[in-house]
Amino acid sequence: MKRRIFLKGSLAAGTLAVAAGAGMLTPKSVLAAAWPKAAFESKTEVEALQAFFGTSDVEQSDKISIKAPLQAENGAVVPVKVMTSLAGVEGIAICAIKNPRPYTTSLRVTDGGGGLYSTRIKMGQTSPVNCYVKAGGKLYMASQEIKVTVGGCGG
Amino acid sequence: MKKLFSLALAAGIALVGVSTVQAISESEIQQDIEEFQGYFLKRFPGLTIEDFQDGVNALPQYAHRRANWELAMEFPPYEPEMEKAAEEWNASFANGKSLNDCDLAPGHTYPVFDAATGDLRTIVGDINACLKANGEDQIKNVKRAKMARLVAHYRSQFNGEKMAVDFSDPGAQALYQKGRQSYWAKRGQLNFSCADCHVHNAGNMVRGDVMSAGLGHGVGFPVWRTKWQVAGKPWGTIHRRYGGCNKQVRAHPFKAQGQEYKALEFYEAVMNTGIPLKVPSQRQ
Amino acid sequence: MASTKMKIKKSKSGGYEVMVLAKHPMETGNRKDKKTGEKIPEHFIENMEFAVNGEMVAQANLGTGVSKNPLIGVGIPNAKPGDTVTVSWVDNRGESDSAEKVVK
Repeated sequence: MKRRIFLKGSLAAGTLAVAAGAGMLTPKSVLAAAWPKAAFESKTEVEALQAFFGTSDVEQSDKISIKAPLQAENGAVVPVKVMTSLAGVEGIAICAIKNPRPYTTSLRVTDGGGGLYSTRIKMGQTSPVNCYVKAGGKLYMASQEIKVTVGGCGG
Repeated sequence: MKKLFSLALAAGIALVGVSTVQAISESEIQQDIEEFQGYFLKRFPGLTIEDFQDGVNALPQYAHRRANWELAMEFPPYEPEMEKAAEEWNASFANGKSLNDCDLAPGHTYPVFDAATGDLRTIVGDINACLKANGEDQIKNVKRAKMARLVAHYRSQFNGEKMAVDFSDPGAQALYQKGRQSYWAKRGQLNFSCADCHVHNAGNMVRGDVMSAGLGHGVGFPVWRTKWQVAGKPWGTIHRRYGGCNKQVRAHPFKAQGQEYKALEFYEAVMNTGIPLKVPSQRQ
Repeated sequence: MASTKMKIKKSKSGGYEVMVLAKHPMETGNRKDKKTGEKIPEHFIENMEFAVNGEMVAQANLGTGVSKNPLIGVGIPNAKPGDTVTVSWVDNRGESDSAEKVVK
């Protein structure tokens, strides 16, 4: 099924050959996992964490750092960068808790991946942005509030 | 600062709407530059003249927002467009030439006063003049898209060069004076001048936004703005920004590449003397 | 398509970082078409996979809460110069794109 999906797009022949040879078209453990629909559709953060990480037991960690503006310049494009020095990172998730569906985006990681995930999210209003990291079988989090305001100087 | 303000204010009030322009000398313009730059260096201690390249991002009052820009610059959003512009710049005309063959002045010297025509040349105007001279269609939308990225491509080749606009000709001095009056004159329903926000209130807030310093305006243009990007038209020349700013104070905007905005651009370019170019820029 | 852009840079914490800029509307399904008044259906990237020399190292899961023209960055701490990094994504309609770059 994955093979059909990848062939649908107009991939350059070279890239397709690389992808095919690379085994990206064949399922490979947790990374071939389907898009985490249940997490994305959860109305609460707790449900979303259960759906993605399999647990919602969290502890604060100062080994997770968040680079994000204190005030967004535009609620449609809010940059968030999560970095962690925790060992054995399995997954990272970002939740903007005041959004209609708090679970915004996530990253599944293997040994070759690192403890870094950077993206841009949409935020409807000022909200804490909770960043979760599952590492060594445990779930950790750090949070930062990001303000979303009405500007003054459009132009 | 008071001297500059009262001189300009007097000039603004006395001469708005009058066609004769009070002459200004080269040495008076030099003094304007020193006073204008000195004002900002004093208002924002710890900043060097080069720091003003980064616009509002350089101001300490912007610290809570700076991460927006820093994270955006990890992968500048304008890069794919800049690659496209480089291709367009080198693309052949029907006659075999390309924009490479155009007779343009160095990027850090614009706007350039043309004594023969008595007019100011901008990069936008020169690109269109070159297209016309080579039998190509001129670019109609002079504020956005293709024209903006072509200007960004050309101007960026002079990154690091210090702004050095020539105001030695009396004709240039007259246009400088026109732009200067425009900068300090009140306009619109909100009755603000450029100076009200960008000189007297530089670093202060207007609702959720921080006002940038007037010093450095235009050094990084054309600009890629997030707000414009969200609406699908990310690029803007400085005349696009002037129009937007005028509308924000509920003043009727002037035409892009018209006399008013060219004179204003000239005044701001002179005030930026010595600041190195850093093109393009990414802003809110 | 082939409009997906990639950048690889050295990471301060060792190894490298890959940044990907994908061109995609990321429609939430809530916006209305101005002409018809109809809601524009959801259209968004679901999974974006990163591989180093063919070995998958990370999978980013995106949704409608991710900004238009997603800019995604992940760490590849064990990558070395000469390694080939590939990114490929697929959206909720089955459309896809990919890009690759060699670590310098």
